[in-house]
Amino acid sequence: MPITRKPPVPVSGIVYGEIIYWGTCFSALLVLYGTIKSFLEINSAVSVNYLLDAVLSGKSVDAIWMSSKLQQVPNTSLYLSTWASGESLTVIGIAVGVLSVIPAIFFSAVYLWRSNNHIFAIVALVSGFLTLLAPSGLISP
Amino acid sequence: MSWTKRLPELQFLILCTLCCYAFLELFIIPNQLSTFSALSGIDLILTSFLLSVIVAIISVIAGVGGGVIFTPLMLAFTSIDTLIIRSTGLVVAMFSGLVATGPFMRKGLADIKLVFLGALPILIGGFGGSLAAIYLSKHLGDTGDSLVRLLLGLLLMAIAVVFVLGGASTEYPKNSERSKLGTKLKLRHMYWEDSLQKPVKYKAHNVRTAICLLFVVGFTGGFFGLGGGWAVVPVLNLVMSVPLKVSAATSGVLLAMGNSAAIWPYINVGALIGVVAAPWMLGQIIGGIMGAHILASIKAAFVRKVLIVMLFATSIKLTARGIEGLFGVSIPII
Repeated sequence: MPITRKPPVPVSGIVYGEIIYWGTCFSALLVLYGTIKSFLEINSAVSVNYLLDAVLSGKSVDAIWMSSKLQQVPNTSLYLSTWASGESLTVIGIAVGVLSVIPAIFFSAVYLWRSNNHIFAIVALVSGFLTLLAPSGLISP
Repeated sequence: MSWTKRLPELQFLILCTLCCYAFLELFIIPNQLSTFSALSGIDLILTSFLLSVIVAIISVIAGVGGGVIFTPLMLAFTSIDTLIIRSTGLVVAMFSGLVATGPFMRKGLADIKLVFLGALPILIGGFGGSLAAIYLSKHLGDTGDSLVRLLLGLLLMAIAVVFVLGGASTEYPKNSERSKLGTKLKLRHMYWEDSLQKPVKYKAHNVRTAICLLFVVGFTGGFFGLGGGWAVVPVLNLVMSVPLKVSAATSGVLLAMGNSAAIWPYINVGALIGVVAAPWMLGQIIGGIMGAHILASIKAAFVRKVLIVMLFATSIKLTARGIEGLFGVSIPII
């Protein structure tokens, strides 16, 4: 007799998907707030119109930042130390969405282990640690 | 479109985004851009958002990641610094996949074991690719830019050929060979096929070959800011004999994970400009949710044909710009 019921979906997959889905939706709200703040800041170190003009005119990344009021190329720690500015909030919002992958991987690994998929649980853990290493800036060109 | 009623979060996000842009258009005094005098910064952001929604819907349905559409078009038709285009390209490639992960996993369309099987090669390759891109940009300057455009043009042409040949791919591939590694890793699964109203079973084959290919895909994705979905679908479908819909969904999830590592080197050298990337990211989230729900019920053949034409056209323009920059000749292509 043919199967007509929907097959069960692995819990590890659902856990992984839900964490990323809601993390991404939350990050979208942060990015929206950051965008509004960027346009409202009049005396910001990096005004929106300067950034857009500089980007569209084809300036290099270093030239864009060095000729702004900021006069240095930003990195993760600078964004965190100036988190209240619109540009930093926007980048942090994007980063929150990207980082939602990390808890998703670890929680998914727990459920993969429980469902006797030990090899995949270990691979998930290694992937999670690699994803954690990337934002630290420990590996850079 | 009945599914939109079941997604209050999507309605909320669309409402918030529209309110935000309406507020900016109505209450902020617009400064005209000197590069595009007809547009204000807010107009440019709104246009980017709308384009991003369209790109996200197309890319999720085709399982390619928006970077394949965004990065080549921007490299071919604008003079924006390649590092900025590639970092924004990764955001575009990543966020539609990230947000589509939820619906794909709920429906059982994406296979979590295949995702983690490809995770390590894609992560390591993607991270290595972005480091190589930044190194090249720092040490070769304008020549590096032209080289990237030329290489990407050639790569796109190859991708377009893969998609043309992908016509040989089947929606439900059959492979009678036994795969030892596939059996050992229990890489077999079943998903509910809405269009057939019945479950479809599959087993993964050629696991070792697929892992090697995924590493190469990860490297090129990180290097060019394309993501890697364009090649993950053929690897899963043609090499591993995974059904086309599962391949497209798994590819989206996998490239989102891989690009989450590849984006950090760009952030750490200031190449991710928040105000430029934000509308593209928001468009990818809203379009990604829409695309993920549309994929469950349609056939992707038409979208693929559109994609092939676009890939060929962009690759010709990119190759021409690369040759112009490297050899100082003028090639009159619009």
